[in-house]
Amino acid sequence: MVVKMSKKPALLLSVLLVLGLLPIALQGNARILNILSACLMWGVVASAWDLSIGYAHVWSFGHIAFFVIGGYTGALGVMYLGIPPAAAIPLGGVAAAIIGLLIALPCLRLHGIYIAMVTFGIHLVMPTFILWGRDYTYGATGLTGFAPLQLGQYTFSSSVPFFSYYVIFGVSILLLFIIQRVINSSIGLAFMALRDSEPFAKTLGVDEYKYKLIVFGISAFMAGLMGGLYTSFYATISPFVLEVSTFLMVLIMLMLGGLGRFPGAVIGAFVITGLSEALRPLLLLRFVILGAIVIAVMIAMPEGLMAIPEKVRSFIRRTFGRGDVEKEERKG
Amino acid sequence: MTADQAVDLVITGVTLGAVYAVMALGLSFIYGITKIFNYAHGAFFTWGAYIAYMLSTGYLHLPYALVVVITVPTMFLFGLGYEKAFMYPLRRFPRWDMTAIIVTLGSALLLDNLALVLFGSRGKRIPYLVDGSFTVGGSVITKHEMVTLLVALSLVFLLILFLGKVREGMAMQGVAQDMIGARMVGIPINRIFSYAFAIAAGLAGISAILLAPKILVYPTVGWLVFVKAFVIMVFGGVGSIKGTAVAAFILAMVEAFVTFFVGGIWGMPIFVLVLVIMLTIRPRGLFGTW
Repeated sequence: MVVKMSKKPALLLSVLLVLGLLPIALQGNARILNILSACLMWGVVASAWDLSIGYAHVWSFGHIAFFVIGGYTGALGVMYLGIPPAAAIPLGGVAAAIIGLLIALPCLRLHGIYIAMVTFGIHLVMPTFILWGRDYTYGATGLTGFAPLQLGQYTFSSSVPFFSYYVIFGVSILLLFIIQRVINSSIGLAFMALRDSEPFAKTLGVDEYKYKLIVFGISAFMAGLMGGLYTSFYATISPFVLEVSTFLMVLIMLMLGGLGRFPGAVIGAFVITGLSEALRPLLLLRFVILGAIVIAVMIAMPEGLMAIPEKVRSFIRRTFGRGDVEKEERKG
Repeated sequence: MTADQAVDLVITGVTLGAVYAVMALGLSFIYGITKIFNYAHGAFFTWGAYIAYMLSTGYLHLPYALVVVITVPTMFLFGLGYEKAFMYPLRRFPRWDMTAIIVTLGSALLLDNLALVLFGSRGKRIPYLVDGSFTVGGSVITKHEMVTLLVALSLVFLLILFLGKVREGMAMQGVAQDMIGARMVGIPINRIFSYAFAIAAGLAGISAILLAPKILVYPTVGWLVFVKAFVIMVFGGVGSIKGTAVAAFILAMVEAFVTFFVGGIWGMPIFVLVLVIMLTIRPRGLFGTW
């Protein structure tokens, strides 16, 4: 499936081209550009999460916490340690990766729902620590007023949408490319082997502990990096991101797109962020409708949006195909 | 800390534990039997509380016995309908367990925000089951707390009895152990799934009636309880009724003492720390078998 996607350079190139040229077509329409930026950022977070849940089957529920850790590390570093913002954003990723590896240690022997609970643990303790360090973090109000990222004469911020979009575009595409490489590498293969049959993978010599640590490291790093970028972009970070709604929305993006179907999470991010923005005029009712849409889509298309092309192809084959129908179906 | 304070803390811990046990049992029931992790369980709690609110202080001002008699069966039917409407259609497909998770996520989003739209974000108060209290030594025990404890303990007892002695309960255990095997020997999986959701929703309704009078009812109140139930379920070992009940009392006691000695905000970190230590020693929880 994934390998097939990577063999479609034409489609990939045209998507990249569209995303790259959209700002010019939109002539710097600030609102839409910022929405697109948000789509890309959440797309990366959801994809990093997918690496863990969808590919390695490590049910980490800590990714929003990693995201927030990255954001706070970056912002606090800029504010109190005078780290240049360009270095603070990757530093956020490193901090998240370290926490990710630490939390991976008790998870090594655990499985399924038990991993989910332990990783969700960091999510649950974050508000306490933010509140505890309120002299530095300003508690529930959140951090603002740290130096923004400057590149030459340009400032990276949601008030400079055109320039910022390209920064986010560049970083996101780079990270998504890395994720895609990881999935297609021997590491990704090991993840999937462990996911599909752990005992069998182990007998073949796949080291479960090593790959669990790797998946935690990589995906926490990416979530943290995106947290740093997000914080820098909106020039604020607060415990509000730890609310249930963010967690739900990102998980829904991931699952709607399709678990373990790589660009699916990105598509899910675009669909959910887009829908959520489109429904904004409905105020509170929008989440009710969003929830209903999610339920309806999943009942109608349980394998996520990424399965649609396959479904359409097999439908066409079944309807218009000739004798090869049986052969095809047996393969699938 | 005086002896009276210690007794007070133990009473708080035990009654909190009772409520958490009822909530966690529901969550564990669904996960143990159907392997669906029900994210909407917090929303079940919230709606149980709002139904009780509508029947009592909100609109109808019914006597409280009647409120209980209506709320719990309503939640039971709600769980039944929920399974039939949202979970049943998913099982046509091979990887339905993943899809089921996102549907519960979506319905949590829907139910929470529906409550927000209908009732607003301001906290609502619902009355105690029974008013009044009595004094033992130097500490005061409210009758509500006594009832809470009695209800919780008898529910644990009844559930163990149900799973061990009643035909449907034994079928549930069969499904929990091996879904395909259970289907092969002719256990109606679909009906068992519906029962599991119905019982769990009923339990969420009961815990809402027991806990909501002590805290306010607001649209995201369920998450607070849900998260604790989640910790308890994992701590006690998934699928073990006894483990869940024991874990609920241990963790609630920890919470009561931590709140007293180091302050409420440290409750969650210590909860999580205790859990991580527990899982390091026993990776399947206290009484877990798988």
